Amino acid sequence: MSLNRRGFLAGTATAAVVASTASVPQIWASASQRAAFSAADRILVVIQLSGGNDGLNTVIPFGDDAYHRNRFATRIDKKSVVKIDDYIGWHPSLRGFSEMQQSGNLCIVNGVGYPNPNRSHFESMDIWHSALLAPPHRTGWVGRWFDEQAGGKTPNPVPGLHIGDEPLPLAMSGLNIMVPSLKSIESLRLASDDAVGSTIDAIGQAPETKQDLVDFLRQSRNTALAASRRLEAVAGANEIPKGYPRTELARKLAFVAKLIAIDFGPRVYYVTLGSFDTHSQQSEAHAALLSELGGAVAAFHKDLAAQRQADQVLSVCFSEFGRRVKENGSAGTDHGTAAPLFIAGQSLPTSLGRYPSLTELVDGDLVFNVDFRSVYATLLDQWLGIDSQTILGVKHETLRLI
Amino acid sequence: MNTHIRGHAEDAWSTVDLDHLTIAGAAHLFRRAGFGASLHELNAAIKLPLTDVVDGLLTTNTGTEFEQQSQIMKTVIQAGNLPVHLPAWWLYRFIQSPCQAWEKLVLFWHGHFATSAAKVNSALMMLAQNEIIRRSAYGPFESLVLEISRDPAMLIYLDSATNRRNNPNENYARELLELFCVGLGNYSEIDIRELARAFTGWEIQSGRFAFNQFQHDPTLKQLLGNANIESGEQAVAWIVQQPAAAKFIAQKLYRFYVSDQTPEPEVIQSFAAILRENEFEIRPVLKTIFTSRIFYSNTAYGQKIRSPVELAIGLLRCLDATASPVHLASSLSGLGQSVFYPPSVKGWDGGKRWINSATMIGRINLITEILNHKETRFVVEKNRLDKRFDIDDAESAVRHVETVWLSQPLDDEQRSKLTDIVEKSTPRRESRLLCAFKCAATLAESQLG
Repeated sequence: MSLNRRGFLAGTATAAVVASTASVPQIWASASQRAAFSAADRILVVIQLSGGNDGLNTVIPFGDDAYHRNRFATRIDKKSVVKIDDYIGWHPSLRGFSEMQQSGNLCIVNGVGYPNPNRSHFESMDIWHSALLAPPHRTGWVGRWFDEQAGGKTPNPVPGLHIGDEPLPLAMSGLNIMVPSLKSIESLRLASDDAVGSTIDAIGQAPETKQDLVDFLRQSRNTALAASRRLEAVAGANEIPKGYPRTELARKLAFVAKLIAIDFGPRVYYVTLGSFDTHSQQSEAHAALLSELGGAVAAFHKDLAAQRQADQVLSVCFSEFGRRVKENGSAGTDHGTAAPLFIAGQSLPTSLGRYPSLTELVDGDLVFNVDFRSVYATLLDQWLGIDSQTILGVKHETLRLI
Repeated sequence: MNTHIRGHAEDAWSTVDLDHLTIAGAAHLFRRAGFGASLHELNAAIKLPLTDVVDGLLTTNTGTEFEQQSQIMKTVIQAGNLPVHLPAWWLYRFIQSPCQAWEKLVLFWHGHFATSAAKVNSALMMLAQNEIIRRSAYGPFESLVLEISRDPAMLIYLDSATNRRNNPNENYARELLELFCVGLGNYSEIDIRELARAFTGWEIQSGRFAFNQFQHDPTLKQLLGNANIESGEQAVAWIVQQPAAAKFIAQKLYRFYVSDQTPEPEVIQSFAAILRENEFEIRPVLKTIFTSRIFYSNTAYGQKIRSPVELAIGLLRCLDATASPVHLASSLSGLGQSVFYPPSVKGWDGGKRWINSATMIGRINLITEILNHKETRFVVEKNRLDKRFDIDDAESAVRHVETVWLSQPLDDEQRSKLTDIVEKSTPRRESRLLCAFKCAATLAESQLG
């Protein structure tokens, strides 16, 4: 990254924080820290909230009568909301987010969605992952970037990493490059058997048969074996370190922090939390999930700050859709549309985008104000330093994030 | 045989011109219809006419001895009502059942009407659902859909048990259309709301399905262009009649039994027509698949990535071996397939989605683990396996693995390297076969079934 670019980035950072509510000394601390990392070192952590997070009960419009009219069993009462202003406030489980937001480390992007919303979990998830509103959803938005950089002069051998036991997310899938996906470090350890080891050494498999499945499997096998060797260096990565809550999301993010500390290589990490599909008896389950989310993200960014890498990492939390404004008869909520998205990092604005109206609805659902592809364009252009148009196909408006 | 079927959709499903199977054809049939077979079973199969082999596979007479064993395990699980023990019970059936194709079909429907014990949290209800599927697996699709719609486990899983007149819960209605019957693009959001109304009042009382007329919305619903739908039963009958339903189920059966690769649309069209001609009876449709030209062509051979269950049970079946189902259940869960615990209502995506770095390493490890495990039992003592399967040297061990395990032959270089390693690693002749399996497991091709 050239000096000019670096200078430019530092400048924008300063401009952004002037508009934010952070205190003065912090502004300078973070602006100067940010200059230390070029766009080529920056890391994005995607946290997927699977199942459709109830946005209305995450950033709660407690000051709106329409909220109280539509929610009875699932309502969060005014007294327990952690106020952001007189209209909205955080779910009580998200105190961690509230504190981060107050110190300029968390930004709410309100009312994120897309035109002609699809209420199928799978289709809507594919739309978010591929950044394409209609099928075929063959590659992911991050995967296309991996493909792009794989053709470059010094390709990153491990440009992305998915941590979890679900299949590799479509968002991380490219056509030409396969990124590793693992549950924990243990899951990449080969059983020690001499004959097996010799076979692996003797028969390296090149993907060149032109048979789709065979080539795919050979590439997967090679990726897996290579990652297995590299990870042998990271010891004790399975325990949850001090400072993190004892939750699964915290375990995954602590592992990510460790990999970032040793400069393992990926520019994008991907983790999931869920299920947020709260059709019945929503309140308790939703509170537990939000608590897991807020606790883990706050601990992760604190850990990064302790590693002096807070400026190097941005986390983004999204869900495939929000829930319907009116709750159903099972003390739950059905599939809806627009919802807030969260970005954690350094020196961020407190919020972007307008909170959607609770009365001007389409089919009982909120109308989006920010297209999710604008969020991607912002992350690509402003954070990762990649021309978003080449990845997304068209130029989307960007937000004033950084 | 052994050619790609292209563009001849009619031909694809016509009967293959083959009285008797080759060994490779028999191995392919047993892998797909069931979980795999040992060389002895394959040798017996190639002596019989193909239709007899297929008819034999599609029977449901499991025999009393096996069912008694299964029932004992089931009773223990029912007594404790602990869902965590369910996967081991079913794995026991996969390993031991004399009716392999039946178990495989029940697994297909379980993935189709995916319901997870993680939410239902009742072994009794999950077992009852398994029984419903088992009973209706080969039967007409409509009765299966109707039974599933009233199944307490499903009612809980998709929140239909609290689907009430004044405030319908759309979850079940949505998934019935999207994932169970017609697929995305063949219904509107209005159809979902109407269908949810048709199912209002379908409740559970004392653990059983009950119709509560006071919670049922009796007004007419307009569903998929039909304005005369009142009840949930009428709605199901109407949905299953849609041409999109035949196409949707045809697609799923094709992916499960024939290939992970998307075929030409005409192949699915003509298969959907066969489903309709057979009034959605599944047994004759499976027979059509297993005797079809397309099934014995390169369009199908080796064109599926083994599911974790297929990988583990397949290994055991082709060695005539058994393993601890409890131990297997935990290994398979790490590879992404815990039966009774599908990851979502969409079931297992299958195909390439089975594979990631961790599952790739895990699959290689699993083979070693099963073969080394002290609770794995072979048809004869381990040190007599070579005699049982006529293994003379390292090369014949490798060739045996190719015949029963791999869906396509190795190339000469791979075969000679493998033979070398087996030769060097195992001075003892009787351990060569298992060594060959462990080494072959590291090859990408081992994942294809």
